[in-house]
Amino acid sequence: MEKARISAYQLFVLMYLFQLGSAILIPLAIEAKQDAWLAILVGMIVGVVPFFIYYSLYQYYPDILPTQYTERIVGKMFGRAISLLYILYLSYLSARVLRDFGEMLLSFAYPETPLFIANALLMFVVMYTVRKGIEVLARTGELLFTLMILLAFSGLLLVVFSGLIDLNNLKPMLEEGLKPVIKVALTQTVFFPFGEVVAFAMIFPYLNHPKKVKVAGLLALGLGGTGLALAMAINISVLGVDLVSRSQFPLLSTIQSIQIASFLERLDVYFMIGSIIGIFLKISVYFYAAVTGTANLFNVKQPSQLAYPIGIIILFLSVTIASNFSEHLEEGLKLVPLILHLPFQIILPLFLLIIAFIKRGKGQKEKRVQRESAPRRGEA
Amino acid sequence: MGMNRKWAFLFLMLACISLVSGCWSKKELTDVALVSALGIDIDEKGRYVGTFQIINPGNVAGGMQGGGAGQGPSVSVYSTTGNNIVEVSRRASTKISRRLYYAHTNLVVVSDELAEKEGLAAIMDAFDRHPEFRTTARVVIARESSAADIVKTLTAVDKIPANKVIKTMELTEKRWGEHVKTNIQEVTKDLVSPGKEPILTGFRMIGNAKKGEKMENVQESALDAILQADAIAVFKDDKLVDWLTGETARGTLWVLDKIKSTGISIDWQDKQEAIAYQVVRQKTKVTATMKNGQPQISINVQAEGDIDEANVPVNLADPRVLLRIEKALGKEIEKEIHKSIQHASQHKTDIFGFGEAMHRSEPESWKRMEKNWNDEHFPKLKVKVNVDAYIRRTGLRSKPMHFGGHLRVGPPVGQRVKAVGFSTPRG
Repeated sequence: MEKARISAYQLFVLMYLFQLGSAILIPLAIEAKQDAWLAILVGMIVGVVPFFIYYSLYQYYPDILPTQYTERIVGKMFGRAISLLYILYLSYLSARVLRDFGEMLLSFAYPETPLFIANALLMFVVMYTVRKGIEVLARTGELLFTLMILLAFSGLLLVVFSGLIDLNNLKPMLEEGLKPVIKVALTQTVFFPFGEVVAFAMIFPYLNHPKKVKVAGLLALGLGGTGLALAMAINISVLGVDLVSRSQFPLLSTIQSIQIASFLERLDVYFMIGSIIGIFLKISVYFYAAVTGTANLFNVKQPSQLAYPIGIIILFLSVTIASNFSEHLEEGLKLVPLILHLPFQIILPLFLLIIAFIKRGKGQKEKRVQRESAPRRGEA
Repeated sequence: MGMNRKWAFLFLMLACISLVSGCWSKKELTDVALVSALGIDIDEKGRYVGTFQIINPGNVAGGMQGGGAGQGPSVSVYSTTGNNIVEVSRRASTKISRRLYYAHTNLVVVSDELAEKEGLAAIMDAFDRHPEFRTTARVVIARESSAADIVKTLTAVDKIPANKVIKTMELTEKRWGEHVKTNIQEVTKDLVSPGKEPILTGFRMIGNAKKGEKMENVQESALDAILQADAIAVFKDDKLVDWLTGETARGTLWVLDKIKSTGISIDWQDKQEAIAYQVVRQKTKVTATMKNGQPQISINVQAEGDIDEANVPVNLADPRVLLRIEKALGKEIEKEIHKSIQHASQHKTDIFGFGEAMHRSEPESWKRMEKNWNDEHFPKLKVKVNVDAYIRRTGLRSKPMHFGGHLRVGPPVGQRVKAVGFSTPRG
């Protein structure tokens, strides 16, 4: 664990951008048709549960990384095995997001560039950032956050003023009842992107004011979720359900539709900058978590030394995990949530939390934690 | 060590500058052909014939008179054939020395023959899918002309013919309301929606096609060949089935809430088209309900505008008279709307999006009707139309000059030709 401190605001910024990350690119929750935005909001609300699991674990062990407390909870062997699995999980996910980036870039702007080159360009920036440590990453996040907010607001204004929004496209609401919405929320959006904040368990111990983790986290979840729901609602009201569901990057199509006064058009760069900011942050956070975790697990004195080797592995992984974009998406939206997200975001953390709770006995501090986490266990 | 590091860093920077500056698939401006319009016809063998309107940059820039540039035509046109759009486009490289660049293609012209026989769906996918192609590109149907003719004809005021077509279409939609601008995205949306069928504006080339291709065409005051917006193409599924003209076309735009301003004429005191009313703004609301198990549509139009012309002795200073005129105007607009709905019913194609309105307000019933909405339910649909037209102003004069009684009222009824024809071309 490096000697570094980040503020609650920085944590909020990282989490917020992390959630927008790659989720804003794709037709998220479109299986719920015109209620996709609702499915995102439901996913966000349910997504508070996994966040509280990670938060409670952090309350038990505020000063050490998850890779250390797994050992303390379930013993050396199992603990290390779990930590190793988590590192692999985090690495795989950062490779996935990197692939998202490359596919986006190649589908829309650089069809003749090899995927490896596109991915390498971003990955080297990510490796460089992560090598510099969490403080640099957090400060980068702050800078990019301002830019992102400016983009989002001006983008929103442009869409509104171009008169493209037809709210009729969002009707009828709940055409098939609540069931499809809940189903999509529970099988997709709660894991992607909300449950993915599991990566931040590796970052919580760096907080300078540990008490503010909860506020920062919930705020990031709430604003991130609202932002995603809004983006999806706008996509659907501009493009219609059918076009959104057929679009690889609905937000891009929405932005491309903007035509104001016959000169404010072709604003693709909005999409480009926005998505690169989100994706960059998301890869960086996953990657940072993987690197710190590895260093911690294998007692490497300087985590920064691992940035380049692991980064190269992730880079190669990103090119090899799928042979085409459809395969990549199918895996990401159908398989990963149930096979990887469910165990790593919910089952394992919950399991760890329960054991930690039993082991700890009933201290003064634990009672408080219990009150926060116990009622929610049933729902998860 | 320190020195080594510095050199390594410098080397890395230089490497980055040369490798990362985005030259991977660079295209110099002199290596790309900017396609401004793309026309698609179909030949006897059923293959697509693509006609590319390519901008001659040197002949566009630099004003009308002199300056060295501008001797040749502003565009060059090439045609190639193929079995699908990509084939057509790639095969064009046998004739054009530059790579076709579609990011500035603002117009797609589809021939009526192709739209009737093959349908639009077959060609739209390529445009919708290609990242370079803009879904905001306008689509028009070449009516009784080939798409190639529309693309080839040189135009005068707007130097690039594609721009002339687009601007004409946009202007006439705004000023007159018998045509509608539609882009690729809107077409694809309507194609897949079971509750709405696409409509597109038709364009025709009037005059001599051969002369239209020559520079002389734009060097005359009365052009030999001009491009004119002509009627609205009605589609069923993705096939062209009918054309709407005149009031029927405008009625459609009323229902679609696309009228921005237009001129409505009504008869007054036995004189045909005696009073002209200019719509300044309007709002149309379409609501769908189920009544006794039957779908029902009600259309509410609120129009606001001024009296622009009065050729009969009518006292426009009298609000009671204006009230009567408003009533008559409302009737006239209602008539146009009913006409267009009847027309669409005959062809069993819901171009108004009544099905979508039904889907929004009665999702349960819609599920039953969705499958055969166009063929079964739409033609039998009960439609209530209510139009409120308001006159706000009468221009700079109140009573018309006929009002004193000294001036004889225009020609007798029925002698004027009502139809808006295509007569002789004008610049």
